[in-house]
Amino acid sequence: MKSIYKFLAFTLLAVFTSCSSDDDATAGLMGENKVTLEFDNSVGSDDLLLATAGYTNSQNETLTITRLNYIVSNFSLTNDAGEVFTYDKEESYFVTSEETGSTEVVLEHIPAGTYVSVTFGIGVDQEKYLQGAEGQGDFLTIAEETNMMWSWQAGYKFLNYEGTFTSETVTEPTDFKVHMGSHGSSLDNYKEVTLSLGTDALVSDEMSPIIHIVADANDILDGENKLALTEQSVIMVSEEKSPKVALNTASMFTVDHVHNGTGDSH
Amino acid sequence: MFLLGGLFTVQANENPKGKAECIWKNTAYEYFCDTCGCGGNGGSMGFGTGLNNNFVGLRYIGQKYRSRDGIFDNSPWINENFNTVQAWGKLPVGKRVLVNALLPYHSHNRTFADNTEQTINGIGDATVLAYYNVLRQTPDSVISIKPEHALQIGGGVKMPTGSFDAANIEGSVNPSFQLGTGSWDYILAANYGITHRNWGLSALLNYTIKTENSKSYLFGNQWNVALNTYKTYYLSPSISLSPQIGLGGEIFEENKEFSLTVPDTGGEVYFARFGVEANYNSYALGISSMLPIAQNLNEGKVEVKNRVSLYLNINI
Repeated sequence: MKSIYKFLAFTLLAVFTSCSSDDDATAGLMGENKVTLEFDNSVGSDDLLLATAGYTNSQNETLTITRLNYIVSNFSLTNDAGEVFTYDKEESYFVTSEETGSTEVVLEHIPAGTYVSVTFGIGVDQEKYLQGAEGQGDFLTIAEETNMMWSWQAGYKFLNYEGTFTSETVTEPTDFKVHMGSHGSSLDNYKEVTLSLGTDALVSDEMSPIIHIVADANDILDGENKLALTEQSVIMVSEEKSPKVALNTASMFTVDHVHNGTGDSH
Repeated sequence: MFLLGGLFTVQANENPKGKAECIWKNTAYEYFCDTCGCGGNGGSMGFGTGLNNNFVGLRYIGQKYRSRDGIFDNSPWINENFNTVQAWGKLPVGKRVLVNALLPYHSHNRTFADNTEQTINGIGDATVLAYYNVLRQTPDSVISIKPEHALQIGGGVKMPTGSFDAANIEGSVNPSFQLGTGSWDYILAANYGITHRNWGLSALLNYTIKTENSKSYLFGNQWNVALNTYKTYYLSPSISLSPQIGLGGEIFEENKEFSLTVPDTGGEVYFARFGVEANYNSYALGISSMLPIAQNLNEGKVEVKNRVSLYLNINI
């Protein structure tokens, strides 16, 4: 008799275990759709509001930010099986700009799947740059229009971060400019980051997810590397400082949440 | 949406001595959180019940929330007002079973930071709940000296008669700004009551099991607990007044969408409740208020400010 109970217990266990799978909704995703990445800029845990009240960083400098533009590129998505889908390189360069409000990157024709992470670059890689001006296509024009080029020889600005600041010794609001790039092919500041999505992003003919990324502008000068504007308020072609800005910028991104669904609204 | 109600069950037409049937009297723990909007989580509803009286009634429930419109600490708060009128009633079936039914009508509104206003109106989710009297004293003596107990257990179903709009569920604003959950939900409930002389105490426990709706959204399962005490003052043989005070709690599991956990959902809120019910013959008129004592809903992105309810029931 006891063995019957044991048998029943095991049967029930098996039934419940087999029913506990929660991936029903993600099985059988078919077709393709777009994936939207929203780059939402912040300072710390506050929304970044251009040219409004300043905020004070850990170096006791108070910044009022008036511009935050950066280039994101070379997108790839990794699914739950570890397979990487790399977006067409020709189409994979974007400028996001807080001042124009164009902070969305839309990747078209992504194959159906359950995606767990996204990888992208900040800036323009040497391979692309070495294709010459004619190899840049429309992106050259876009970069010029958004203040993301010095000149063709000097190259792209990967980051254009501007505003005014005050500190203990700089009491009058003073302009700051942080323009970071690769400076031709002599200094390579292109970086790549991989972000775990936290929640799976589901793509199918019916589902086009929005990946909501937060970029914390505070990290640019006040991240892992500390850069005091009081010491140098214009950081451009600096072999010492711009690599630090590049590292800080690459670590400013986190995924806040993923919105699955039709993606028509957010 | 839990109504627990014994509130209306005060049987003012009874002689004060005939208390045996009044065990739930006034306990009216009307947990009224009716559908959506409850705790920011697409609520559910429960009922407390009177013991033997049939009634029909109308209840107005006003709930005020504020929720964060955005993901940042400086994102604006928006105020949300949930207004509900419920028609409900109770009918005994046989000696030990009672059936509760409830149909809400909602009119919810909220104003965004840019001053645009959103209003949703319509029928909410209807609920039918049946209770079995497990334990109940029979009124065998005219005057009862000893405390009397009653215990009811039951279950029910909440039907998706209210509309669910997928456009309102996006994470950054209260996902419960809905007329209904769009799902068939199942409720398990237990009520316990004890009365002694003019005093009464009631306790309730409800668990609502929610299912995934057609938009692949699943509101988190919900616990409701409440403890309520009251005292009845008889102003005349046909008029009585019953002030009440109590505590309530609502605990929500996280929501899921496409079987994936939705961030910033779930949480808990605890209330203090104050109310008074007046009874005249077979009419019961009540007012009550619930104020949050402690809360952490949707990772702090939704806050309950208060709830009020006003009701009129007629024993039939």
